[in-house]
Amino acid sequence: MAQVERYFAVALALLLAALSPTATSNEPEDGLTVLSWGGAYERAQQLALFAPFSEATGKVVRVERYNGGLDGLRHAIESGEVPWDVIDMTRSDALAACDEGLLQPLSPTLVDSAPDGTPPEQDFIDGAFDRCSITHTVFATVVAYRRDAFPGKRPTSIGDLFDQQRFPGPRALQRTPEVNLEWALLSYRVPREELYGLLSTQRGLRLALKRLDSLDNIHWWEAGDVPPRLLAEGEVVMASGYNGRFFDAIVNRNLPIEILWDGQVQEHETWVVPQGAPHPELARNFIRFATTTERLAALASRIPYGPARHSAAMQVTTHPDNGMDMRLHIPTHPLNAERAVTKDDDWYARTYQRIRERFDEWLSP
Amino acid sequence: MSLALGGHPAYTLKMDTTQADRMPAGGPFALFRFLGLVIFGALIGIMAALCAVGFVAAVLWLNDILLISPRSRMMFAHPGILVATTIAVPAVGGVIVGLLHRQIPEHRPHTPADVIAAVQTRHGRLPARAGTLSALSGLISLGAGASVGQYGPLVHMGATLGSLGARLLRLGRSDDNITIACGVAAAIATAFNAPLAGIVFAHEVVLRHYALRAFAPVAAAAIVGHVIATGVLERGALFHVSGTTVPQPWEFAAFVVIGGLGALVAGAYMHAILGVGRLAGRLPLHPVMRPAVAGALLGLTALWVPDILGMGQETLRFATIAGAFGSIELVVVLSLKLAATALCLGMGFGGGVFSPALVIGTLFGALCGTIVGELSGAPPDTFVFYAVCGMVAVTAPVIGAPLTSLLIVFELTGSYVLTTAALASVTLASPISAQLFGRSLFDIQLSVRGLDLSAGRGRAVLREAPVRLYLTQNCVTLPPDIDITAAVTSLSHAGHGEAHLVDSRNRYHGSVSLADLEAAREDGHGQHPVSECAITNRPILGPDTSVWEAMAQMQDFTGEAIAVIDDATDDTFLGVVYEASIARAYLQHSDELRREEHGTG
Repeated sequence: MAQVERYFAVALALLLAALSPTATSNEPEDGLTVLSWGGAYERAQQLALFAPFSEATGKVVRVERYNGGLDGLRHAIESGEVPWDVIDMTRSDALAACDEGLLQPLSPTLVDSAPDGTPPEQDFIDGAFDRCSITHTVFATVVAYRRDAFPGKRPTSIGDLFDQQRFPGPRALQRTPEVNLEWALLSYRVPREELYGLLSTQRGLRLALKRLDSLDNIHWWEAGDVPPRLLAEGEVVMASGYNGRFFDAIVNRNLPIEILWDGQVQEHETWVVPQGAPHPELARNFIRFATTTERLAALASRIPYGPARHSAAMQVTTHPDNGMDMRLHIPTHPLNAERAVTKDDDWYARTYQRIRERFDEWLSP
Repeated sequence: MSLALGGHPAYTLKMDTTQADRMPAGGPFALFRFLGLVIFGALIGIMAALCAVGFVAAVLWLNDILLISPRSRMMFAHPGILVATTIAVPAVGGVIVGLLHRQIPEHRPHTPADVIAAVQTRHGRLPARAGTLSALSGLISLGAGASVGQYGPLVHMGATLGSLGARLLRLGRSDDNITIACGVAAAIATAFNAPLAGIVFAHEVVLRHYALRAFAPVAAAAIVGHVIATGVLERGALFHVSGTTVPQPWEFAAFVVIGGLGALVAGAYMHAILGVGRLAGRLPLHPVMRPAVAGALLGLTALWVPDILGMGQETLRFATIAGAFGSIELVVVLSLKLAATALCLGMGFGGGVFSPALVIGTLFGALCGTIVGELSGAPPDTFVFYAVCGMVAVTAPVIGAPLTSLLIVFELTGSYVLTTAALASVTLASPISAQLFGRSLFDIQLSVRGLDLSAGRGRAVLREAPVRLYLTQNCVTLPPDIDITAAVTSLSHAGHGEAHLVDSRNRYHGSVSLADLEAAREDGHGQHPVSECAITNRPILGPDTSVWEAMAQMQDFTGEAIAVIDDATDDTFLGVVYEASIARAYLQHSDELRREEHGTG
């Protein structure tokens, strides 16, 4: 009983903290402040990570919300008041931030071994450990389509995104060069291993933009909740988007949409500790806790993002609330990942500005 | 087999043939030894495969840090510095390569042609030092972005390892040839991840015969290479073909025509390389600086057409995509790639000829596909078939390996339809090129160097075997001024029918036969000097004369033995070679070849 009460107390504290984010940074107490992405993702993190951490350590976890990017972090470090202990950051942002000296180095020895004793270097997926960040999950940008849009057939390859003869109807794409260029070039049947080498040539960029050019009627989206909405409203028949959002739309809102896993672009989501974090030691403790096999599996059972540990991927089972088999919905499941593209974070970290300029130039008539 | 130097010639000849006839077909020891050779082949395969993997990784790494690969160029944010490095990197690489080549006795990198020569003439020894330096030169050339191939250095590296292994175990020449083939097969199997192509390449290009005895060790090496490649090298297939497209029947006619035209492109490519090589020799430029000049020119051109830089993997890929190049662009890139490769190889960069041929051939095929598309109104769905047919049509003649080229297509694509299309193309390409230019670029290079393999291995082996191996001093020599009676006496006592006249300074003055001397004595010339009876028009041999030439001389010769005279030292008499020894040498070489090529174990 005492545990349940404590659980409620923590939840109440979290709720209060979430409601009054400005107040938290001024309080000199010894709780942990996490910066994360909000929405369904944060709800899953609360249940799988934050609450159990509080339970295990007695430390309160406060959560603040952002939409990615490094501007906030730069500003905070410049002002000398860094309110966050841990940040949930995409790997490409983490690489850039680390290069800029915004983050504290993180050693791979920080994380625990798997329950069966497998050392972290073998248990984590490739590229999980960088100088300042540790990958905890893998999320994907995928194409989803309305099941009722193409009677008698369904898209099976990413090339079908660009085939408006066989699969007519408007498309929704993210207003960024990322993912779109990859898909456009993949539609020429180039092997995914050569994707970024080919995109590094003028000819490759030209071919990719030519493919995007061939699409009629593109709705460009920027916020992640737009593509499920456009599909739900029937504005478009195919849309790119984050696999977690589409899962949410399918399971919780019962929308008639299906995910096309072919050509999914996977990205790493990492934990980082910013320079000037108020409780760096507690932050590292949290990262160790949150990257254990058990916690990663618990998180993936609530939101379909792939755990960065092989041992955790093996333990993912059903959603605790609705009983869905979550394994089939995470991007790294072997069936889904057969033709997955891993986003080349290093490449984007160095080229993004030029690629973006080229893309915007193409976008503006 | 004993050489029986100086033994009785007639007897030895008989011995040898009977010995050969009595060769046991098998037995537990032979089987044991053969299995040992197979295991040794696999070990050579491991070494060659690991070296190949290391080599490929090192080239990629160098291309990245030296701003050659498109990815690294794109990620580099300073356009001005990029222009400078594009010119400077190949140029500096050229200087290093030029300096490296000075350390090799022949002042050029060793290539698969040297491997072929070693195996075909059964010399079988590939020098480790020159091999290492050649591999290093290939690595630096490729790393610095020279328009050369990586498979040539890999093949030579595998072959050198095989030869080294055979030397460490003190194996005989036949086994040495097999271990060389093992190294070659493993290198190809690893680099392409195509074990069948590796096995066939070793037989088709290097061994040039098919024997079960060689097959098993070579296959073991290739499988090992394949396993290592699967575990270590991760990369996409060279071509992707959707399962549904099948060419129209008339398109096969187009593929055959592409084959015929591709042979001409291959000829142009080979002769451009040889031609630049000849021109480079006449340039008033120190050999060390030649590759540097080529590198600077290459970099300068690459600022305009970056496709010609390096091995051109991206260009190869784009050439299989309909619409990636316009037809004019295809002609320009094809010509420039051909010129760049000829420039780099002709001016002395180290590296292979295969990868550039792949790019040139695929561009050529793409050009054909584009033209067909323009004639028929729409780019064909089978565009990739045209690209592959062009690729095979150019590469098969260049390396002289139609079957290997087909197998590479088959193993890399897994598409049987595509392989049959490539077969249609290679049907004309290989014979036309062989008729017009030669069996392969390697054979042309070797014939320029004086090794003619066009009549097969038997002649090449006999041409390379020097007659001095059969030289003997077991003969009667007489001073030219001795009288005939004394000469007859000493000849009769020695039991020989011929004597050779050698003066006090060891100079040769002709030969005399016992019959002539007897006749002269009967005629009452017994007191005359023996030199009056000398047969001066008898053929003589030099110490470097080959068995092949000696056999040609023998056709107009009756007598016991031919004198061997060193022209270089003023007609010094070195000894004689018995007619029977030459016949024995011929039989021995033929017998060895026969056993090597038809033996089972």
